[in-house]
Amino acid sequence: MYRGRLERDLSLWVGKGLLGQETAGALLAEYDSRPASFSLGRVLMALAAVLLAAAILLVVASNWEAIPRLVRVGGILALIWLVHIAAARMLARGATAAAGGLLVIGAMSFGGAISLVGQMYHLSGDEQTVMYLWFTIATISAILFRSGAVAVVAGFLSWASFAVYLENNDTHWIGFDPWMAPLMAVIVIGLVRYTGAERARHLAYLLLIGWLAWLYTLYEEIAVALAFAIGGMAAFVLTAVPLPRIASLIRSAGAAPAFYSFLVAVIGFLLLHIEIEDGWRLVVLGVATLAASVLAIALHGRDNGAVRYLAYATFAAEMLYLASVTVGSILGTSSLFLFSGLVVALVAWMVIRLERRFSANAQGERA
Amino acid sequence: MSSFMAKLQSGKGYLLSAIIVAGLQTLILGTIIQSRASILSNGAEVLLKTAPVDPRDFLRGDYVVLNYDISSVPVQTVSGGIPAEVGERVLWVRLKKQEDGFWTVTESSFHELPPQPETVILRSLPFYSGALAAGDNMRVEYGIERYYVPEGKGKPIEEARNDGNVAISVRVSADGSAQIRSLLVDGKAVYDEPLY
Repeated sequence: MYRGRLERDLSLWVGKGLLGQETAGALLAEYDSRPASFSLGRVLMALAAVLLAAAILLVVASNWEAIPRLVRVGGILALIWLVHIAAARMLARGATAAAGGLLVIGAMSFGGAISLVGQMYHLSGDEQTVMYLWFTIATISAILFRSGAVAVVAGFLSWASFAVYLENNDTHWIGFDPWMAPLMAVIVIGLVRYTGAERARHLAYLLLIGWLAWLYTLYEEIAVALAFAIGGMAAFVLTAVPLPRIASLIRSAGAAPAFYSFLVAVIGFLLLHIEIEDGWRLVVLGVATLAASVLAIALHGRDNGAVRYLAYATFAAEMLYLASVTVGSILGTSSLFLFSGLVVALVAWMVIRLERRFSANAQGERA
Repeated sequence: MSSFMAKLQSGKGYLLSAIIVAGLQTLILGTIIQSRASILSNGAEVLLKTAPVDPRDFLRGDYVVLNYDISSVPVQTVSGGIPAEVGERVLWVRLKKQEDGFWTVTESSFHELPPQPETVILRSLPFYSGALAAGDNMRVEYGIERYYVPEGKGKPIEEARNDGNVAISVRVSADGSAQIRSLLVDGKAVYDEPLY
C-alpha cells in the first residue's frame, strides 16, 4: 500500500526534476530493506509456522492411541527444546524470519503440551489458567528473543483468553478475571513497542474495544454510552494536544491511538442514538455528533486518513439519520441543518485563514 | 537491565534465551504432571456415579461430560453458615461411602472441613453463587467433569452408559483436589490410566 504510493510519488518527483533518478532508487531500496516491509519469503515462513503449529495442536486433540502418552509428552517437550535452540542459532546467524517461524511453533507447542497434560489427567475447569500460562510464556519468549512474530501470537492469545473467559462465565462479570483483558492489551502494546511488530498493535486495540462493547452489554445504560462518547473524545483530543511528553509517546504509536479513541467515541454516539430517540435531547445529541466529526477532521484530518474517513462517515450517517427521523418537523430539521451549515461554514472560513497564515509564516521562515 | 537484554539478543545470548524459555515451559509442564501424578499415587480413592454425553474441546479433543450425583449439593447439608452476600466462593464437601459402594455428600461447608475417619473431603472449583434458600441445590464442579477419549471413541462409552452403570473412580489429595483415576463400565476400567 504505502510502497505503491511511495513509488508513484517518487516517479512524479523525478519527472518534475525535484529528485534525481538515483536518489529515488536509493530511497525505495532503503524502504525495502526495513524489517517491517513486505517480504514474500517472510510471510510464507510465518504461514508455514502457523500450519505446522496447528498440525501439532490437532495431533494432541486427536488423542491418538497409537503413541503412548508419555511418548507424546516427551515428543512435544523435545520439540519445544529443539525449536527454541534452533531459533537461537538462526538469530545468532541473523536469519530472523526463520527464527520467528520457529519461535511461533515453540510458543504454540506449549499450548499443545499443556492441553496434552490436561487430557492425560482429565482436567476440567482450568481453561482460564491454561490461557494465562500460555499468554505468559508467549510474552516471556517475545521479550527474551525480541520477536515480533511471538508478539503477534501473544496478541491472539489475549483474544483467546478473553473468549475463554466469556464462555466459561456466560458473559457475566465475575471476580477479577475481567480485568485481565485490558491488562493483556496493555502488555501486548508494550510487546509491540519493544519488538517493533507495528501491525500487532491493532490486536490490542480491538481487544480493548471488544471489552468495552462487552461492558455495555452488561450495563445497557445511557451513562455507559455517554462515558464512551465523552471518554473517547477526551482521549482523542489528548492525542492531538501538543504536550511534549505525551506527543512523542503518541507519535511513535502512529495513527492508531487517535483512530481507536475516536472509534470508541463514535460507538458511544451510536449507542446514545439507540437510547435517545426524540425530543430536545436528540437535537443536542445530533449537534454533538456532528461537532465531534468536525473536531476530528480539524485535529487529525490532515495526517490521519483513518480518522478522516471515519469522521466523514459519521458526519454523513448523522445527517442522513437526522433528515430521516426529522427533528420535530421537516421545517425543524431544515432549520437545524441551516444553523449547522452556517456554523460549519464559519469554522471553515476561520480554518482557511489560519492555514494561509501558517503557510505564509512557514515560507517567510524558509526565506 | 537494558545491557542484560542487549547481551541476551546477540550471539550466545540467544541460546540462553532459548534455554530460559524452553526450560520454563518444561518446568511448568513438569510441575503440573507431578502434582497430578502425586494425587493419583497418594490420594484417597472414591467411587462416583455419573451420566455422560459426548462433545469436543478445541485443544484437548473428544471428551465425555461427567455429571456426578455429588455435582448437585443440597443446601441442607451446609454446616458453618451460608454467606449472605452474592459472590464467588469455594465449597468443601465431605464424602462418605454408601452400602452400594458409591460415595455421597454427607456434609458441606463454605469453610475448610476438619478431617474425619472413613470420610474424604473434596474441594470444589470457585463458583459464583447468589442468595441460597434452604430447599435449593448448589451446582458445583470439582475439575473432574471431563473424560478425554481418543477421537471417535466417546460413543461406545455413551452407549454403555445407556445399558449399564458408568462409574468414575477418583483420587483425592489431602487438600481436597480431585484427580480422575479411571472410567469404569460395569465395574471394569475402559482405559488404562498410568501415573505418567
